[in-house]
Amino acid sequence: METNKIILNYTHRQAGHCESGATSNLLNFYGHDLSEPMAFGIGNGLYFSYIPFLKVQYAPMISFRNLPNVVFHRSAKYLNIDATVVKKIRDPKESMLALDRNLERGIPTGMQVGTFNITFFPPEYRMHYNMHNFVCFGKEGNLYHISDTVMEDTQVLSYEDLLRVRYAKGPFAPNGKMYWINNVPKELDMKSAIAAGIKKTVYEMIKIPFPLIGVKGLRWLSRDLKKWPRKHGNDKASFYLGQILRMAEDFGTGGAGFRYIYGAFLKESGELLNNSELLEASDMMGKTANQWREFTYIGAKNCKNRAAPQEDYGMLGNRLFEIAEMEEKVYRKLDKIKI
Amino acid sequence: MDDPTNPVYKDQRHGKSRELLYSYDENGKFKKTVGFHGEPDRVILQQAWDVFNDRIENARQKVIIGKVSPIVYYMEKNLMDPLSLSMLTGISIWRVKLHFKPFMFKRLNRKILQKYADAFNIGVNKLTKVE
Repeated sequence: METNKIILNYTHRQAGHCESGATSNLLNFYGHDLSEPMAFGIGNGLYFSYIPFLKVQYAPMISFRNLPNVVFHRSAKYLNIDATVVKKIRDPKESMLALDRNLERGIPTGMQVGTFNITFFPPEYRMHYNMHNFVCFGKEGNLYHISDTVMEDTQVLSYEDLLRVRYAKGPFAPNGKMYWINNVPKELDMKSAIAAGIKKTVYEMIKIPFPLIGVKGLRWLSRDLKKWPRKHGNDKASFYLGQILRMAEDFGTGGAGFRYIYGAFLKESGELLNNSELLEASDMMGKTANQWREFTYIGAKNCKNRAAPQEDYGMLGNRLFEIAEMEEKVYRKLDKIKI
Repeated sequence: MDDPTNPVYKDQRHGKSRELLYSYDENGKFKKTVGFHGEPDRVILQQAWDVFNDRIENARQKVIIGKVSPIVYYMEKNLMDPLSLSMLTGISIWRVKLHFKPFMFKRLNRKILQKYADAFNIGVNKLTKVE
């Protein structure tokens, strides 16, 4: 048994969103202080999709985040960072060897993992969710040192457990995906990166010609929400409503389905570029996020008692529709801003 | 908000870790706070666990009266569905569904039982009974 000990000088910072937190921490390791909202905004973390025919944990799939690894990949692309993403490693042992080699060269490595078998994870979140990300920055015998942005402190995970979580199965299986940064330019061109990030997010939220993605998906969901009690009964409707709220609030979103983080990004970039229109957009985004919070407060009443709903689903549907309208205004405004 | 006693969660182990939460106030400032989730967030999370626990208990009762095989119980306990179980074990989905029947489960050889045991992360001799 080898007992060599490598622990890199990696600063762990807690974050709302796992992948943008990992990206910002990785960049911080290479000497660029990029905040979490900044990484999130440039890497297009904001997204919405509603896929009623695909069931995840017995409820329709609703996602407030982009596909796994988009945030890291795009922020590296827009900031001109030389990064490597290995999408799939077929042999589990080979993937662990690759991780060891990286650590020996002094490179902290991010990985996509499934949450169910992570031993240090808070037990209330231990459901099957394959789009989680953390960074491995050290090794000590059989134990790997992990920086998981959901947790307050760094954690350790044994070889077997790490292998298990990296090869979790199910929808969006990680397949041992890993990513790291090779080289960072001395000066980051924030202006063009912010412009490219905002443009792509606006495209994804309002311009994709498919009804289930972006603001259109949100409207579709609001119409479906009204039908649920009639179609599935109160019990199931309440569970489905809970699924929307869980995805928006609980699973490491920083609140309101990432809308707060995105608002913080708009504010920060507005201050950086001295752009008053971006600041206005950030204010609108913050208000939309507060509407989301209110939606959660009202919706949670229906989840408390599943059989007898306290609030009318029609009203909830209308509220969601209003949120969609508010969000569309923000994106239309962002679309016109010239950076 | 900073209430570690968590009256909503039924499981005592839940709600012990603090998270980073964002908020937006009237002055136009985005604030970061490290704290526990508020009550509505706990209610919706507890609802999911209620549903899962119901399913697990339901499966356990069915195994005890001999209607389904213990694989169903362990599948529900690991919050899986037949599709993900089939992906994890490498056994095709219709065969997995066949193994839900106690009659077929009794005829399984050790090799296939080992595959299921690995998927559930338990020993083979534990697979034949529920706790």
